Amino acid sequence: MEKPELEVRNLKLFARNKPILNLPHFELRKGEGLVLFGPNGSGKSTFLRVLSFLQMPDRGEIYYQGEKAGPHNRRQLSLRVVHLLQKPVFFRGSVRDNLLSGLKFRRVQAREQEARLEKISALFHLVPLLNRLPDQLSGGERQRVHLARAFILEPEFLFLDEPFNGLDVEFRDKLMADFYRIRKATGVTTILVTHIRDEAVYLADRIAIMLEGNILQTGTPEEISSAPATAEVSRLMGQEVLVEGVVEGSDGGLLEIKTCGQVIRAFGQQQRGQRVLLTFRPEEVILAVDRPATSVRNWFYVEIRDIRPFDRMFLVLLDCGFRLKAFVSRASVEELRLEPGRKIWAGIKASAITTWPGQADGEQDI
Amino acid sequence: MNLKEILEITWLSLTVSGSAAVLSMLVGLPVAIFLYFRRFPGKKFVVTLINTGMGLPPVVVGLFVALLFWRSGPLGFLQLMYTPAAMIIAQFIIALPLVVGLSLAALEQVDPDVLLQARALGASGFQLIAVLLKEARMGQLAAIIAAFGAVISEVGAVLMVGGNLKGYTRVLTTAIVQETRMGNFRSAVSLALILLALSFLVNWFLTSIQQKGANRWKNPSWK
Repeated sequence: MEKPELEVRNLKLFARNKPILNLPHFELRKGEGLVLFGPNGSGKSTFLRVLSFLQMPDRGEIYYQGEKAGPHNRRQLSLRVVHLLQKPVFFRGSVRDNLLSGLKFRRVQAREQEARLEKISALFHLVPLLNRLPDQLSGGERQRVHLARAFILEPEFLFLDEPFNGLDVEFRDKLMADFYRIRKATGVTTILVTHIRDEAVYLADRIAIMLEGNILQTGTPEEISSAPATAEVSRLMGQEVLVEGVVEGSDGGLLEIKTCGQVIRAFGQQQRGQRVLLTFRPEEVILAVDRPATSVRNWFYVEIRDIRPFDRMFLVLLDCGFRLKAFVSRASVEELRLEPGRKIWAGIKASAITTWPGQADGEQDI
Repeated sequence: MNLKEILEITWLSLTVSGSAAVLSMLVGLPVAIFLYFRRFPGKKFVVTLINTGMGLPPVVVGLFVALLFWRSGPLGFLQLMYTPAAMIIAQFIIALPLVVGLSLAALEQVDPDVLLQARALGASGFQLIAVLLKEARMGQLAAIIAAFGAVISEVGAVLMVGGNLKGYTRVLTTAIVQETRMGNFRSAVSLALILLALSFLVNWFLTSIQQKGANRWKNPSWK
């Protein structure tokens, strides 16, 4: 079998005796775009720093293209990697000086430097900015120079720490699309760190979900969304906690769960009498004025508590003995005449609900 | 006092204090870089000592250098007492803590993320130092300005270890003291004006280098 481009074994890092990183195994394949996704403080940036030798782990082995990293080859291996820090910091001098800085560190010949500068500044639309100073650039332009400074080095590995942070939405989307295109075109093996789910799903060939220094699950965005390994992963991937209840009946994997005076149907492997935690995606909730005759197994007559605009959609907060959230379009809000205090029907398919062992079983804590 | 004598005194002032300032920079900057990068037990104490040394009284320095080079002193065999070399050594000791202290302060002003990013882009140890010095060069110029200013204007140390020997170790400050004592106020004032002018010219030169750097940073029109 082909060796992984990057492999990590038994990596551990402690700070004040508290584990910051604990990664038994991690690997990256050639040309892959992996997104390290998790909340702030989950150890993502630290992991990148360890991989690019900016920080030493307490234990563990790192292999680059099968070569084990050690004091003798660390510097030489580090030149295969470019790591962009979260904050775009610039050196004294113009945009041109900054773009060339990495090439100078690597002692690339002057003619080659100029050729690469020409290519990269065209690719990132930086030609008119070359003689400007970083201080005179807008946030978006600075971010573009920051990214270009990495691509100009034509590294084998590219590690990016929240490269689209702090940009306005429109520009972020454009830069993300450009980045995706350039990454695919250059085929550079990439790890990108982010705490924003949309970014992770959009940019990843594979996502690694990181929480408290551990990687909980690795897979394609589809794999992780459709089959999250734990309740934490499902929550990080956008599922909301619905409610906790007790399994009343089970029929070939279709469970009847009793909670807050309602019966909810969902698929799961739990046994009768067990406590279960239910999670769902708010965008899968259907709202209707009259209860429609459909295959949807769960219908609740609910009261609307609040309606708020939320990222091009409307978030509707519903009360049916437990809290339920739904995302609906503006058209639906108008058509259904949704307003706080009104009662309507809310439906959710049994297959859209994920079941987890409940807290009373002592396994999941969410 | 004739013109030749005045020119000799002025030239000696410039060379003694200039050499002391340059030497202190050559020694002080590597010390500051070492202190910046290295963590060791007692570092805070060392830095506090250096910062205290920035206010070292020149007469105290003069006294210790004199004790060192006195004929019966530990370095007496070098026969440096009452020579320009002893004056340079004394002024070097006065300037050194200033250069180390101010340079270290300037280095510590540099955003540590700049260095981390340089490393992440592939900078070696020496390249990292080059980045650091480039980022902090305004502060280093300030350090050399302060050091030169301190030594060109001091009188205690050069008087004690130089002896104000006419035509050999007499510099502007010691000459001013001498002329004032003798009641030759006209000469004293002339020498004082020359000292001020000299100090101004050297600082003008250093400041213009510093400002040029600052403008390059702010003004987009350079290439």
